[in-house]
Amino acid sequence: MKTTKRRQTRFRLRYDKTTGLLLISPWLIGFVLFKLLPILASFGLSLTDFHMLKPEETSFIGLANYVRLFQDEAIGYLIAFTLNSAIRTVPLQLAASIFLAALLSNPRLKAPTMTRTLFFVPSIIPGVAIAFMWYGFMDPATGWLNRFILPFFGLAGFNDMYSDAAAAFLYSISSLWAIGPGMLIMLGAMQSISSEINEAARVDGAGPLVRFFRITLPMVTPAIFFTLIINLIAVFGGVILLDRGNTFRGGGVPFDRYITYWMFEQWDLGYAAGLAWFFFVIVMIVIIALFSSSRRWVYFPDRES
Amino acid sequence: MSDQTSQRPGRSATTRSVTTPSKYVSLRNWEVLGTAVFNIFVFTLLIVYLFPMLYMLTTSFMEGYQLGDRNAPIYPSRQTDFEYDGKARKIYTVPFGDETRELALVSPGRKSSEFIDPQNPEAGLITWEGNWRQLIGVYEFHATWDNFSILFRALRLPQMLRNTLLLALITEVGVLFSSIVVAYGFARFPLPGGDLLFYLLIATILIPEKVTLIPTYFIYARVLGWDGTWLPIMLPFFFGNAIYIFLLRQNFKSIPKDLDEAAMLDGAGPIRTLFSVVLPQSWPVVITVSLLHFFFMWNETRQAALYLSTRRDLSPISFGIQNFQSLAPIQNQLQASALLIMIVPVLILIFSQRHFMRNLIITGSEG
Repeated sequence: MKTTKRRQTRFRLRYDKTTGLLLISPWLIGFVLFKLLPILASFGLSLTDFHMLKPEETSFIGLANYVRLFQDEAIGYLIAFTLNSAIRTVPLQLAASIFLAALLSNPRLKAPTMTRTLFFVPSIIPGVAIAFMWYGFMDPATGWLNRFILPFFGLAGFNDMYSDAAAAFLYSISSLWAIGPGMLIMLGAMQSISSEINEAARVDGAGPLVRFFRITLPMVTPAIFFTLIINLIAVFGGVILLDRGNTFRGGGVPFDRYITYWMFEQWDLGYAAGLAWFFFVIVMIVIIALFSSSRRWVYFPDRES
Repeated sequence: MSDQTSQRPGRSATTRSVTTPSKYVSLRNWEVLGTAVFNIFVFTLLIVYLFPMLYMLTTSFMEGYQLGDRNAPIYPSRQTDFEYDGKARKIYTVPFGDETRELALVSPGRKSSEFIDPQNPEAGLITWEGNWRQLIGVYEFHATWDNFSILFRALRLPQMLRNTLLLALITEVGVLFSSIVVAYGFARFPLPGGDLLFYLLIATILIPEKVTLIPTYFIYARVLGWDGTWLPIMLPFFFGNAIYIFLLRQNFKSIPKDLDEAAMLDGAGPIRTLFSVVLPQSWPVVITVSLLHFFFMWNETRQAALYLSTRRDLSPISFGIQNFQSLAPIQNQLQASALLIMIVPVLILIFSQRHFMRNLIITGSEG
């Protein structure tokens, strides 16, 4: 009796904060080295006129980079573009992943695993392959779009691959090829809804549409929230779960490209750091706004009890 | 209907169960029909969704001249030949009044051309009035591997493949080991500040890459001189990856603690408990995470573009093929390179589908 008690106290000592800290220390060190310090260093750099090729001539210039940023005409355009691409892709991706998840979680589906996998395939292939395929597919002379699909619907062929409209269309349509993770997570959430709830609603006379909008959708709001975050981060050029590299010409989102331009073509790291910090603050504001709004529309089962 | 029944749920349930046999049979027919329609719909949707892939697949096996021929079918093909007079003559569909005949073109002319019937060459030349260029050819299936052999000659594919596999393997070991240990720490141990560190972990997933890139690039490339090496790409993975840690932690938390505690009572330390008790119960999620990481590394081009643009011999395959676009802007070769670069992850996904898809789905229901 006495020995077990002693043993138990010794065992309890093991589950302590020191061991915990020790175990998570690789991440903690990585966090400090690769995230925290660089973010702070970026802020420090943004207060200077640091130049890649002549770091020794650096001087402190205060908020001058930020003043310059607010006078930079490109910024307004970049924000508008980012907003525009968010509007063009995120709702489309959300709707498509909810719709597909609803289809693929239906018990009537034959060969469910294979079908789901095939719908998932476009989300794991490299951006390079996606760019080649879509550019080829839409190629005015040899692509299938002009040769078979548009004529089939009696539409005129489309000729200017490199127009803004074509780029916008390509961007929206190819964003549908990135919905895999969100779709699977929603599928998981839909499958975990207990069939009793649905059955009860069915007995009460709720049709499939009513059940979908009144039961399924509210219960998968956590998955919708997660998908929303993934897709938004992708609009800002970030990566969650699956990266495909830069898909189309030039690569990356315009904000990223603008920062890259100041970094690698002008070597003006001070201004590039200012831009990066500005961008960072915007992203963080959007994410904090989303997380605080989530209390109102995301269903958390834990919070109810 | 919905209003009525919701007022009296009990009664509607009874009326539903009392159905006459004939009605029941028709209901079953409806079910079967519904299932068929549903599956046809999903299958059509799948084809539409993957349509550019079908284009890629067929184009990559085509010869260049087929791309220029607007009458050619969509599958890889060539115009059927017929040998006559020691030369290969192309066969066309030639209209004669109401009927058409498949004839081989012997001597083309703008106003009239001479043809030979491949079925009956002894009958001699047949003259046809009209412009032969407006005739539609007769095609037969013909696939070629040429595009791939051109790629193998133009690009150092084995070297690029070796680079990608090495990079993936080394970072795989690093990221798996560190993420597993860290996830175990987050799943089982009390930490100073409660959940604060865990929220910090989640927050790091959302930090834009650029804000950390500027100082790290400067340090790697200018201070440490790691430009043109794999070190900047590999190093961060040895400190764990937030999203993998998150996925692993969710799984570790779902494993009952009893066995851990028994092992610890027997005097096993945390690392031994992790590897002998927790990990053997978590293979599915570990494999899922390692596949995710493999896909990630296979597709990686961002870091490669930053650090490896001067060292083509160290270039991984995605980055190498990305640069191929400027070398050969011919669609059939581009599509062949697209096929080459996506075939490995796609095959791995298909072979591991039962496992990979199921576990990501389960993650969804837990998340």
